[in-house]
Amino acid sequence: MSGLISLKKIKRHYDVGGEKVRALDGVDLTINQNEYISIMGPSGSGKSTLMNMIGCLDTPTEGTYEFEGELVHEMDDDQLASIRNRKIGFVFQTFNLLPKATALRNVEVPLIYSNISKSKRLKMASDSLVSVGLEDRLDHKPNELSGGQRQRVAIARALVNNPSIILADEPTGNLDSKSGIEIMKILHELYTNGNTIILVTHEEDIAMHAKRIITIFDGKIKEDKINKKMTKAL
Amino acid sequence: MFSLLSESIKIAISSIISNKTRSLLTGLSIIIGISTVTLMGTLISGLDRGFDRSMDFLGKDVLSISRWEWFGDLEWWEVRNRPRIKIDYIDKIKERSKYAEAVAPVLQRGASLSRGDLGARSQIFGTTPDYLKTTKYGVAEGRFFTKGEDRSGARVALLGHDVAENLFPNQDPIGKYFKIDGIRFKALGVMEKQGKFLGLFSFDTQVIIPSGTSQRLFSKRGFLRISVKVPEDKISESKDEIYGIMRQIRGLKPKEKDDFAVNQTEAFESTYNQIKFAIGGVGIFITVLSLVVGGIGIMNIMFVSVKERTKEIGVRKAIGATRNMILTQFLMEAIMICVIGGVIGLSFAAVLSLIINQFFPSTMPIWLAITSISLSVFVGVIAGVVPSYRAAGLDPIDALRYE
Repeated sequence: MSGLISLKKIKRHYDVGGEKVRALDGVDLTINQNEYISIMGPSGSGKSTLMNMIGCLDTPTEGTYEFEGELVHEMDDDQLASIRNRKIGFVFQTFNLLPKATALRNVEVPLIYSNISKSKRLKMASDSLVSVGLEDRLDHKPNELSGGQRQRVAIARALVNNPSIILADEPTGNLDSKSGIEIMKILHELYTNGNTIILVTHEEDIAMHAKRIITIFDGKIKEDKINKKMTKAL
Repeated sequence: MFSLLSESIKIAISSIISNKTRSLLTGLSIIIGISTVTLMGTLISGLDRGFDRSMDFLGKDVLSISRWEWFGDLEWWEVRNRPRIKIDYIDKIKERSKYAEAVAPVLQRGASLSRGDLGARSQIFGTTPDYLKTTKYGVAEGRFFTKGEDRSGARVALLGHDVAENLFPNQDPIGKYFKIDGIRFKALGVMEKQGKFLGLFSFDTQVIIPSGTSQRLFSKRGFLRISVKVPEDKISESKDEIYGIMRQIRGLKPKEKDDFAVNQTEAFESTYNQIKFAIGGVGIFITVLSLVVGGIGIMNIMFVSVKERTKEIGVRKAIGATRNMILTQFLMEAIMICVIGGVIGLSFAAVLSLIINQFFPSTMPIWLAITSISLSVFVGVIAGVVPSYRAAGLDPIDALRYE
């Protein structure tokens, strides 16, 4: 297994009202290609901070972060934007689609930021939507789609740039159980197709879909284990 | 970069469309500002063209001696008490002036014209053949009268362009007869069309007859001025000379004030420039004011827009938008509001200037349209830069969390 992501002695401190909050307090973590990881933890545990860190939305106060050989902890805003664009696909709890844009245009946006030509963009975006089973919803706006469909658009958007990791933050949190299962099924498929998936959740039964479960508490990794009873969404 | 720019324009337009009322209200000041500046420019440039053409009527190198100053500040009774200009000054001026190239009297009075059932009001100009040398406009058809006809008081006339059309519709007037205040005259020719002077009155409604005829048939006490053509490069020397000659004729002592006036188009020009600056000043004031107000309004609306779309900015940043991309998007939106406002203002001014053109000369030159659109872009950039910069600088994590 090749090392994809490597975090060493990562610390992230905030000043809140003159008081130092240690959101992350020395995290070491290596993630390899084609892993399916759950990051679990109660609120305030540092789970979100870790996710932001892995997603290159945030940089550490201390420590080193390497992403496929690139030193993320030394990057400026624009370099971070570029690595997010090329290597990370985000799936959010609240979908975060652009409300006035069609499904196709939503999926097209990351490609605009990576400066891909219009014709190529349309082809890639529609292919991506087809891969999540939305071939007949290309011209629908988010408010014309169900929750599950919206999340599938978001997944298509996350996949369109062929990223190195998919970072899903509570992807089923806003969905009914049926749609939730649907989404977990897609994530599982992506995993079996060779993608690397990082799932951030506080729900244990969702976390059980992953192969490796990392539990974080008080800014430190409390447990990092292989999940032997991996749930397969079918 | 190009696809990003066209994308920004698309996003801007869709955002403006989804907030039609808000965008329109915001753009209103820009519409007013651009209308004002365009309209003002249109008026001034129309005035300029009309003015230059009108100045040709009189000729820069023609001095006009009369009782009153064109733009004097004398009371009317002071002017009335001045002695009249007399026709025999002409010979004296011709005799004494070394600059005068032509000296012609203009005896002007209103009269009514008739021919059969047709009639018209007109200004009758009694003059000599030298008159032709004091104006830029010549005879279009036929001929001017001769010195002989002037001396003998022949009842012949030259018609202004409009007079010819009114009295002789679809006919050649030359050699035909008509009446001035009931007296029969023969038409010798038609003068060239001159258009309106400053859009106010027209020499095309004039009738020119020999001054001798005018003095014999009509009152000698008509309104008389003397036009003196001088060399173009010696205007001020000539003016001084004519003043001297006139003072001699009038027998004025050195301490006595002039009791006549020597007028020149320059007087028009300085008054005209004052009017122009007044229009320009008021226009610029209104423009600047409304563009500043409009700019502040747009800045405000852009702050609201950035706030409303904080989450969207977060999402865009998460999926890879750089600071510059976000900056471009919002800047483009501010610019688009201004440009759309500018285009509306421009079209409004264009329509208005067409209407005004019916009464007053006004033309919209292309540079003015380009200037006002550039001005809109400028206001958009100035108003949009701070909100856009704020949007670009948002932290993606905070922005994503914003509800």
